[in-house]
Amino acid sequence: MDKQISLETKNVSISYGDKQVIRQVSLKVSSHQVTAVIGPSGCGKSTLLRTFNRMNDFIPSFSMEGEIIFQGKNIYEPSSDPGVIRQKIGMVFQRPNPFPKSIFKNIVWGPKINGYSGDLQALAEDALKRAALWEEVKDRLNDSALKLSGGQQQRLCIARAIAMNPEVILMDEPCSALDPSATARIEDLIKELRTNYTIVIVTHNMQQAARISDQTAFLYEGDLVEYGVTKKIFTQPDKKRTEDYITGRFG
Amino acid sequence: MKRTHRKRKEKWFLWICRGATLLAVAVLLTLLFHVIREGFAWLDLQFLDSFPSRKPERAGIKSALWGSVWVIGLTALISIPLSIASAIYLEEYAPKNKWMRSVEINLANLAAMPSILYGLLGLAIFVRFFDLDRSLWSGALTLSLLVLPVIVIAAKGAIRSVPQSIREGAYALGARRWQVVFYQVLPSAIPGIMTGIILALSRAMGETAPLIMVGALSYIAFLPEGPSDPFTALPVQIFNWAARPQADFHGLAAGGIIVLLCLLLTLNAGAVFIREKLQRYK
Repeated sequence: MDKQISLETKNVSISYGDKQVIRQVSLKVSSHQVTAVIGPSGCGKSTLLRTFNRMNDFIPSFSMEGEIIFQGKNIYEPSSDPGVIRQKIGMVFQRPNPFPKSIFKNIVWGPKINGYSGDLQALAEDALKRAALWEEVKDRLNDSALKLSGGQQQRLCIARAIAMNPEVILMDEPCSALDPSATARIEDLIKELRTNYTIVIVTHNMQQAARISDQTAFLYEGDLVEYGVTKKIFTQPDKKRTEDYITGRFG
Repeated sequence: MKRTHRKRKEKWFLWICRGATLLAVAVLLTLLFHVIREGFAWLDLQFLDSFPSRKPERAGIKSALWGSVWVIGLTALISIPLSIASAIYLEEYAPKNKWMRSVEINLANLAAMPSILYGLLGLAIFVRFFDLDRSLWSGALTLSLLVLPVIVIAAKGAIRSVPQSIREGAYALGARRWQVVFYQVLPSAIPGIMTGIILALSRAMGETAPLIMVGALSYIAFLPEGPSDPFTALPVQIFNWAARPQADFHGLAAGGIIVLLCLLLTLNAGAVFIREKLQRYK
């Protein structure tokens, strides 16, 4: 693989207090690809994802060993600034979490507090178009974001992340709270976003991983069992455990 | 047979609850009726615009009314910023350890402390130690101590009830902690904080004991011109009139109560109005 690497974990182990939840995970995330992380509940996929933008920093018992390399630097170095990292590595959460403000303010708040000085109107329009939400909301940008449907709210959250012009967008089961048609729209969107952003998506839905991702990592009880091209993982996995999981024998 | 038994229980329960509510409302209405009947005749512009006097027909509540407005205004200015800042610190910044837990327990204790003790504290610290004398400062600072724990507890609750997902969403956009608190958490918590402020200031408005303790006089024949002037307040004036033997003064006291109630209602209505305005995106 001579693709460019956007994010790389080197021997990452994570514990909450005495409990180790991730063991010695090393993987490389290629840029402009969709990388899916799958595995049964509690296998540590969300925990791993949240280390990529240091969202685990808020959990007092969290501790990590190993390195996560982004743009040539370990983001867990004492000198690195989580605020700056999160500007470049955006995140979309499991449940849509728009701010209780207008649609417009939801989009421009992030850029504004980080010193964006360009045209906010144009920025909002561009972000909403990229998130395939513009047509539905262009006449009511000043309405409350909470009036949108769940699927629209999630696309708004994606637009909010896009407005920061990040390099990577992390998605933590972004469709688990949505109905099938809203899920389909988000999946189409994710496939398009790949051209401009690197996407890492955690999902408990194997079909979803198979549909939208280029690479798939299979985590089981904190171990990275297998990582490779999605098509191969789903058709000819190397490991017995991967095969058992994707064929539904457990999980 | 069992069914009818349970139905009867249901009925009994409903009537107990309904009776309790009716009793409370009835007592309140009786009081209100009594006060209005006794005080209404005394309510006129002259009553609102006169200083206290030994002659009931010339007495008014001008100094008490303006004293109350002054002292509550000052109390609000002192206590609101202090208590919101403390609540933010306790909820968003303070480490969750034993020391902080004891601070929280003691906050609850302070909120339940009898107000006369705050009066004694105010007398010792503000009146004597800081030599503020019987000024509006002493009264307002003492009342601020009294309402501080109440507002802090309400504000803490309001801040805590802001969903964690809002904070996470903000942090994920690269926001600093102060930006998360100032732009996302506080605006969402404001309605709850306002409710706490309304309740606390209404309580302060009716407090008599601590003000008497720090020397709010009942005979003040001038208006305060600044926070260093001596003052009186509505509940102090009402207490003074009610304690006199002459029936006319009881009427004046009832009139004062009506004015105090109106002031409270105005304050609450204003606060509710502001709260609704701030709650536009819900």
